[in-house]
Amino acid sequence: MQLRSIAKWGRNITLVLAALIAAGWLAFVPRAKGPPYAFVAAWGEKGSAPGQFDDPTGIAVVGDEVYVADSRNGRIQVFDFDGRFRRLFGTPGSGPGQLGRPMNLKVHERRLYVAEYFNDRVQVFGLDGRSLRIIGRPGNGPGEFSAPGGVAVAPNGDLLVADFYNQRVQRLGADGTPVRQWGETGKIGIWGGEFNYPTDVAVGPDGTLFVADGYNDRIQAFSLAGALLRKWGGPFAINIFGPFNGWFATVTNVTVDGQGHVFAADFYNHRIQKFAADGTFLTALGAKGSGPGQFDHAIAAAVADDGTVFAVDFGNNRIQKWRQARPVLGG
Amino acid sequence: MKQIARITVLAVGLMLGMASAMAAPQTYKLRVDGLSCPFCAYGIEKKLGAVSGVEHVAVDIASGTVTVTMADGAVLDEAVARKAVKDAGFSLRGLQPAAAAPQEAGQAK
Repeated sequence: MQLRSIAKWGRNITLVLAALIAAGWLAFVPRAKGPPYAFVAAWGEKGSAPGQFDDPTGIAVVGDEVYVADSRNGRIQVFDFDGRFRRLFGTPGSGPGQLGRPMNLKVHERRLYVAEYFNDRVQVFGLDGRSLRIIGRPGNGPGEFSAPGGVAVAPNGDLLVADFYNQRVQRLGADGTPVRQWGETGKIGIWGGEFNYPTDVAVGPDGTLFVADGYNDRIQAFSLAGALLRKWGGPFAINIFGPFNGWFATVTNVTVDGQGHVFAADFYNHRIQKFAADGTFLTALGAKGSGPGQFDHAIAAAVADDGTVFAVDFGNNRIQKWRQARPVLGG
Repeated sequence: MKQIARITVLAVGLMLGMASAMAAPQTYKLRVDGLSCPFCAYGIEKKLGAVSGVEHVAVDIASGTVTVTMADGAVLDEAVARKAVKDAGFSLRGLQPAAAAPQEAGQAK
């Protein structure tokens, strides 16, 4: 009698657990709501010759060119959309025109913005490789940086900087004057508006600021005035990592395409994830490996005007090109 | 006489060997967990590279090992190394003097 009761109790617990897992799965693992992407081509290998990379870490697309931060080589390399090498600029160092571990890149009004991890600054280049401006210096005060990982430019020209070791995002005027910051300097946190090593930033067409909150495994979205709008990445977006749709295992880059879609590099899951601006999961591209369409840690992506995605395959020292597998009606 | 000459040659050789060993920069192997992301690895390189006497830091992201080469005559204090690694957001799991100074990829600030 007692055995039968224990068995019944165990069965009920199993059913409840199964129901909870199923509910959790439905609630926290979304299905893809966008068309998939297909791998097109890849280029690059480890080395220091033109067309080779030693830790590629960032990427940007402008016009018909792809700009790649070749971090350990201390340079930016430029390619056409088929991976043909065009030119390079920068050498390792800390002077103007030199680069100290360039990380995420962004382009705004035909200028290339480079976050320099070792030099604690943002350097602005013309597309011809000429150094135009240097913004910031080492430190934790306003306008100072500690290993900036990424930079973006607001529609009015203000700069947004992911200030990695200072655990904050700074907004600076176009002239470099500090305007405000998100996050408390040097304090790691998992709640909304707090950061755990922010790695990159992007600004959407409507002015929304997206932050790759690196080790919190999430994206946070803010108004440029400062308000937290939303966050996503795993259950409740509170530093719960995993390999499922819409979850992350360290976010190292965020970028927005012309339609406002948000692309995020999901480093330890070896993929790029694509979301609607409201955080709805659309699709993911890539899997672990070194074959075509596989990544050894996907670290960054950029999207061309025609929707082509260029992704940085960090461990394989190469760039991958992807296109949507079928056209989307209505954009 | 022949034996004295042999001993002298041996002694000189030994002294030269010792001098060259003493002149070689001291290197250390550091064990740090979770170093596979460049944001982590570069942080370790940056913080250790700022330590006085450190001449070269090489991080092997694939194996998670850090090799620190000191300037001639400088030694790496474990407490200082531990703090630099902690400032980079990690815990130092071990520090061991190594024999030779490698000059492979990776550089200090």
